[in-house]
Amino acid sequence: MIAPPDSVEGWEPDVAGPADLARVIELAFDYRGDVTVVGRDGSEWFGYLFNRSAAAPDPYVELLDPAGDAPVRVRCADIRTIRFTGRDTAAGKSYAAWLERKAAAKDA
Amino acid sequence: MSVPVAQMWTVATYVLGQRLRGRKRYPLVLMLEPLFRCNLACAGCGKIQYPAHVLKRHLSVEDCLRAVDECGTPMVSIPGGEPLMYPEIGRLVSELVARRKYVYLCTNAILLEEKLDAGLFTPSKYLSFSVHMDGLREEHDEAVCREGVYDDAVDAIREALRRGFRVTTNTTLFEGVDPERVRKFFDTMMDLGVEGMMMSPGYSYSKAPDQDHFLRRKRTHELFRAILDRPKRHWKFNQSPIFLQFLMGKHDFSCTPWGNPTYNMFGWQKPCYLLQEGYAKTFAELMETTEWDRYGHKSGNEKCRDCMVHCGYEPTAVNHTFGSLRGFRDTVVATVTGRP
Ligand code: SF4
Ligand code: SF4
Repeated sequence: MIAPPDSVEGWEPDVAGPADLARVIELAFDYRGDVTVVGRDGSEWFGYLFNRSAAAPDPYVELLDPAGDAPVRVRCADIRTIRFTGRDTAAGKSYAAWLERKAAAKDA
Repeated sequence: MSVPVAQMWTVATYVLGQRLRGRKRYPLVLMLEPLFRCNLACAGCGKIQYPAHVLKRHLSVEDCLRAVDECGTPMVSIPGGEPLMYPEIGRLVSELVARRKYVYLCTNAILLEEKLDAGLFTPSKYLSFSVHMDGLREEHDEAVCREGVYDDAVDAIREALRRGFRVTTNTTLFEGVDPERVRKFFDTMMDLGVEGMMMSPGYSYSKAPDQDHFLRRKRTHELFRAILDRPKRHWKFNQSPIFLQFLMGKHDFSCTPWGNPTYNMFGWQKPCYLLQEGYAKTFAELMETTEWDRYGHKSGNEKCRDCMVHCGYEPTAVNHTFGSLRGFRDTVVATVTGRP
């Protein structure tokens, strides 16, 4: 099965089959940044992938498109790969940075 | 316990009604998240890490009310993000109050005085401001990663109380907290005049920036015993005494994830307020399609192993109270003696 890098931000996985695609969809669902869903026909959908269902009769993913209001639904069967194009918003070091700032303030 | 009698009565009749109808799983408190935007970035928070275009969005009041009607709980908690940043918070709250829902508006209180001055809210037995306070000044400002927030929140609490609003506090406790400081914090909050306090151990959100300070189960029991073993008479808690006993290790409960269902811009969150394993379009779909057996402390699910958070276990405590004579007696004894 496909092995993701330590940080998936910027990752452009080469999907070899359904098991790889299922794994990449799960990683994209867990990712707190925008992604680009690439269709088998070359179409692209960009946005925040907030939901997926592998159990639905016709499995799908759902994205919030930055420009649109309603979620966009893409059939898993139409997906070639998903690129992790947006910044990972959960990768920040805000707590560590706060501790550093506090320590610096105490030393000053 | 400080929950007003009218509210207790509403909850008791609702729970008994559900049981009489033979409903095995029923919701108790809707967790309504109208937005994820916040004016803080607390170390233990896993709720706000989204791309900017997601943070800019919010639910409409109509969407919120549809969710409220769909699940039918007597209580609605509005966490976030920061609900006071929701542009329609005044209208949402007045619609909920008109529906006689007991509303807990969970806020860090930074904007509270401004919104009170703007006349957005009217005092009501149905509305409580549940102010996020993670301890005394030093501990709170550290938890919220900003200095001065404690003082602002205390000023806002005073002002809300002066204007006749119900005010409670909600406190999340993390590893390393000093039980004596927590006891002092309880004294301070009661002296301020809040109606009651709520507390919970933190949940180790995988997306939270501080991963080192979440409590494990045994440590949770030790910590809460140290805090609550000798409770002071004037401490009042706005939560079930049975839940407090659970935190102290006196009960071995399983969670009730459907007890506090969560609705936000993604839909109905599976399975609970803490985990995001997918979204359902309707409340009925949430209840029918979630594989509930995969969750909870005893399920072996790694994500549930150390969880003792109020949104999962408070409904269990309420079920315990109304599920047996023993449970009811436990609750009455704890309420009357003030000893969890
Ligand atoms: S814990 Fe509450 S106040 Fe703190 S960042 Fe999260 S939503 Fe905002
Ligand atoms: S134990 Fe229950 S409430 Fe806690 S994370 Fe698991 S399902 Fe959610």
